Amino acid sequence: MGILEDKSRARLFYKYLSTVYDRVNPFIWNEEMRAEALELLDLDPDDRVLDVGSGTGFGTEGLLQYTDDVHGLDQSIHQMEKAFAKFGRTDEVNFYRGDAERLPFADDSFDALWSSGSIEYWPNPVDALAEFRRIVKPGGPVLVVGPNYPSSTVFQRLADAIMLFYDEEEADRMFAEAGFNDVEHVMMGPTYNPEIAITTLAQVPES
Amino acid sequence: MKESLMEILCDPLDKSELELEVEERDGEEIIEGRLIGTVTGEEYPIEDGIPNLLPPDMRDD
Repeated sequence: MGILEDKSRARLFYKYLSTVYDRVNPFIWNEEMRAEALELLDLDPDDRVLDVGSGTGFGTEGLLQYTDDVHGLDQSIHQMEKAFAKFGRTDEVNFYRGDAERLPFADDSFDALWSSGSIEYWPNPVDALAEFRRIVKPGGPVLVVGPNYPSSTVFQRLADAIMLFYDEEEADRMFAEAGFNDVEHVMMGPTYNPEIAITTLAQVPES
Repeated sequence: MKESLMEILCDPLDKSELELEVEERDGEEIIEGRLIGTVTGEEYPIEDGIPNLLPPDMRDD
């Protein structure tokens, strides 16, 4: 974990990130990768799904291809303004400002949960994953896309300083600690960098 | 936010129920108002249709 452990610094970071995010984002997380992850999530048309760290709405847009009952949560209003421009403030999506680690939803409120490009900014990822397990119904899917730990040492140093990167082993540890036991990982990326993203699909335990 | 969402919303601090106070509504849509923790007493504003359920230590504006 790096400098974003301090939540006020994290907020400042998002504020400036939002100005370039949609331009930077397609290089690491594009429509093809999103489509592949959405197929894994396998939503039904009447599923209620929460997008945690919905940001500028790239993942949200994909979820809307599968169901009309889409909810988006983000801490940053600056990022969310860009999503409002795409979907309206209250028209197509139910938006909330909130903290991934302290979610404002009752137990078993959602059929499925999606979070792409957000986990790397959370100070305590296991706390957020435990919240996901709590608010999704038993048997429901939780899908998290994050950056795979880079293999080059230069990028490793950058990764360690700025945000959380993790590999399969670390993802297994985090999900297990959060109470998941049915977990699988898929590496995704463009042809020039096919393992840049790690997508984890977990099922909420029945009991 | 739609009033029906009260069914799934809770206080982020202790997951207890919230009470809705409406200042302005447009049919089912709550435009301005507050969500109040029935146990914590914490107030979460609804601003221009968006509920701000950030815990108090994370609010900056």
